[in-house]
Amino acid sequence: MGTRRILIGLPLAVSALLLQSVFWVPTYEEQARGNPARLEEFIQASIGDAAVLNPILSSDAASAEIEQLVFEGLLDRDEHLRLRGKLAESWSVREEAFFHVPAGQGGQANEAVRVAALLRERRARPEGLPPAVQAAVANIEEIAIEPPRRETREITDASGQPLRLHLSVPPRIRLLLARVDPELFAHLEAVLGEGYFLRFRPEEHLEAERPLPEEEKRRIAGEALPPVEHNPVIEFRLRPGLTFHDGRPLTAEDVRFTWQAVMDPRNLSPRASDFEPVKEVRLPDPLTAVVVYKRLHAPALASWTLGILPRHLLDETALRAEAIASGKDPAAFGIRQSRFNRRPVGCGPFAFREWKSDRHIRLERFAGYFEGPPEYRRFSFRVIPDLLTQEMEFYAGTIDAYAVQPHQVARLAGDPRFQHFSGTSFAYTYIGYNLRRPPFDDPRVRRALGLAVPVDRIIEAVLYGQAERTSGPFPRQTPFYNPEVEPLPHDPEAARRLLEEAGWRPGPEGLLEKDGRRLRFTLITNSGNDVRKSILTIVQDAWKRLGVEVRTDLVEWAVFIRERIHRLDFDAVVLGWSMGVEPDLHPIWHSSQTGPHQLNFIGYGHPEADALITRIREEYDPERQIALCRKLHARIAADQPVTFLYAGRWTAVLDRRIVIRERRGDEIRHRPIEPTATGNYRYHFNRWVKLAERPVFAVE
Amino acid sequence: MTEFLIRSLRRKLFTLFLVTVVSFLIIHLAPGEPAQVDPLNPKFTPEMVERFRRAFHLDRPLPVQYVLFYRDLFTGRSVSWKDNQPVLEKIGERFLNSLPLFAVGTLLTWTLAFPLGIHAAVRRGGFFDRGTAFFAYVLISLPGFFFAYLLILLVVNTLAVPVLGMQTYGFENAPALHRLNDRLWHLLLPALLGSATGIAVLSRYVRSQMLEVIHQDYVRTARAKGLPEETVLYKHALRNALLPFLTMFGLILPGLVGGSVIIESIFSWPGLGRMAYEAILARDYPVILTLNFIAAVLVLLGTLLSDLLYAAADPRIRLA
Repeated sequence: MGTRRILIGLPLAVSALLLQSVFWVPTYEEQARGNPARLEEFIQASIGDAAVLNPILSSDAASAEIEQLVFEGLLDRDEHLRLRGKLAESWSVREEAFFHVPAGQGGQANEAVRVAALLRERRARPEGLPPAVQAAVANIEEIAIEPPRRETREITDASGQPLRLHLSVPPRIRLLLARVDPELFAHLEAVLGEGYFLRFRPEEHLEAERPLPEEEKRRIAGEALPPVEHNPVIEFRLRPGLTFHDGRPLTAEDVRFTWQAVMDPRNLSPRASDFEPVKEVRLPDPLTAVVVYKRLHAPALASWTLGILPRHLLDETALRAEAIASGKDPAAFGIRQSRFNRRPVGCGPFAFREWKSDRHIRLERFAGYFEGPPEYRRFSFRVIPDLLTQEMEFYAGTIDAYAVQPHQVARLAGDPRFQHFSGTSFAYTYIGYNLRRPPFDDPRVRRALGLAVPVDRIIEAVLYGQAERTSGPFPRQTPFYNPEVEPLPHDPEAARRLLEEAGWRPGPEGLLEKDGRRLRFTLITNSGNDVRKSILTIVQDAWKRLGVEVRTDLVEWAVFIRERIHRLDFDAVVLGWSMGVEPDLHPIWHSSQTGPHQLNFIGYGHPEADALITRIREEYDPERQIALCRKLHARIAADQPVTFLYAGRWTAVLDRRIVIRERRGDEIRHRPIEPTATGNYRYHFNRWVKLAERPVFAVE
Repeated sequence: MTEFLIRSLRRKLFTLFLVTVVSFLIIHLAPGEPAQVDPLNPKFTPEMVERFRRAFHLDRPLPVQYVLFYRDLFTGRSVSWKDNQPVLEKIGERFLNSLPLFAVGTLLTWTLAFPLGIHAAVRRGGFFDRGTAFFAYVLISLPGFFFAYLLILLVVNTLAVPVLGMQTYGFENAPALHRLNDRLWHLLLPALLGSATGIAVLSRYVRSQMLEVIHQDYVRTARAKGLPEETVLYKHALRNALLPFLTMFGLILPGLVGGSVIIESIFSWPGLGRMAYEAILARDYPVILTLNFIAAVLVLLGTLLSDLLYAAADPRIRLA
């Protein structure tokens, strides 16, 4: 009878069919070693898939990794994290500065002529001026007078109503500076007289359509006609002969287009805040892009590491054509909707080939890359969502790199087949205190709490030694980090003395009290992070020994952010910041950013720190910027608004057969991969090559 | 019959509507923002977060969001918040990936479980029964990922062949027959693992159902008539034991959507379950809600199907 036979036979037949397939599958041996093409391919494993392959839209790490290979920016960072030219052959930073003259004797026109003449004369004969002022005057290359003009502008007032303004712009002095000088106007006061620039009254030159309160009018006038204005100007000279992967030339038009695309509100670009200060991009010739800024904004330069988009594929015409071809409404079709984000075209070392969602992304080397094509023929990005299977694939030789965990590295530390690297990451973990709430408003209490935390034990016991102490807000491997600032030592005795100094004395139960109130608060962090959870317990224990009553709580990430951090409803938190190279601390440490939903949620504010943060943003000179950053680091460390715990270490493993190939003419040499001074082992990736045999180097 | 169908469909449409409302509300109760919004990224100014929220209609009242979402879904315009791809297109692609896994898994489960269960019932208390019971409980009580890792380790270490993904990576240029067999091989382990637990559970059900009917008079009658044992068990007994399984059979359809999240993740299988899981992590509401909607439709279809099968299998039931 059939039923039974079918019920047993069918699944067995299917299983047999599936099982026999094993004879057809290539073994790892055949794939990895018998296959010379495998040597020319670098396969990177990733937990998650990329989201959007467009540098102006993406904000996830996986996309950034691919974009870095497919796209190229005007600039990037060299091995010491300094900016260097990429698509831009060279660049220069100058400044156009403007100021209005006050109505002196004989009207503003005469005053402008007088001031211009005075400045010219002082520039020719600077004797007698203080040295700083002499330098500032010598920095002026050109002095010109802009003629007066009339202008009508539409703005929205404080209540959101449209408002028409009539401006009679008086003549203005225009100064062309050889380099950016944030202190120009302070120095010019030594020539023109104390408070000279404040004597200009913008409100006298403005007529609003309807009467405004005096206060409001002054504010609007100040915005429309600022008495002084800094316009930094960056001029990029592009390399000649650059092309995109599709063979079309890359010109300054594409640079301007990339800026416009970032700023287009339809594109909702997460990079918009970097480019908002750009006033205009002028294109004097096809290989020159002159970027003019509205104000001093030193992080501006580094923002040009952003990948340049091909205008011919994404401008209005191209998008319109694509919308019509795919049957969509052209009016609602922007860059975000374009297929470009799934098959990008850039001008980086690798050209995009294929993207299978949640499986792999394939790139192929770009023969026309301006620095010469990379040694690897192909780059593949495989999505393997499980860490353990990633490790197994690595051992089997079917991936070349993966997110290796420290304990996995330990497993193959002695294996001659592999080389491994580690370095300090750009992130640090800290305990943040809500400075609005007592007792955290007292710096002595914060310092005492910090002194009591056994950070070295945390690093040893929780992180297996894979972290380094840090003492301030900058990444350790950047020059902005101040090596002279020592991390807090572990000293519970000193902590006790400090607390006593602050008025906290042990009460009857041994718990600290002040004016009849106990030292009691809650320390929270997000759930799902085992390291932070362990820190919570260790810190709680250490503080209890001091006599502090600490409760702890774990909160789900989304709730943690929304209900606690954004609403500023917490006592103390264990959290981390992931930093970039750029030393702009404004969002996280400036006192203007302490509101709900802002990032300075601990509520830190110190006039000196605020001034430094603003100055760092305006300082275009790298050396001076470093000096300012180190001062800021010392300032923040002195205040201890947070207890800086540690910066974690990253680890990486590679097959030892992967080496750097150096070509000098016809001569080919190989040398082992060495991380740069700042710990970047991938810095020379384009020259990496996998040899068939494990190399032996004399130095080893 | 048609009257039953119409009435049943009407009732099911109403249920579907309730499901859409409830799932929409639940998903908006869960805290979090779509993955494109990173609240702790200094580059995200509050204005930008606001603009994102506007673009995703998150600033509108919930009922309006509801209408907008389902309008977009039915006109095929809803896009993923993660990568701006059309949701239906994404789901369609993943559905095709999940289908072979689901089909093979279901086939193995719904065939092998019966002979195993019946044999155990007939030899109740014997070696075979106790052996299968032991393995069934081991399979049911130990988590699936544990077996998956063991199996992967075993296969990779002994056979040294790749098992991850839907096909061997970099094997696209091989001859067609090789490629086909390669795909079959990659299907084998996840399908076996997926069906193992199913077989364990289902065979236990089959066993207990068979135990109930095996001592009934009509089974004894059949035996008395001198029918071969196989006909007695597989025809007379099994048919009567089968009724409860019709309900279960109707409910395997939704397994297509969320059936094997863990297996798909471990084996890097780009299927629907893994997509749903990742969408939840990324708060990709359009994908979650669409999958939820499809799952609801499949459940309702499954119950309808089992109702019809009931009527076909059991003459005592009349649909009216």
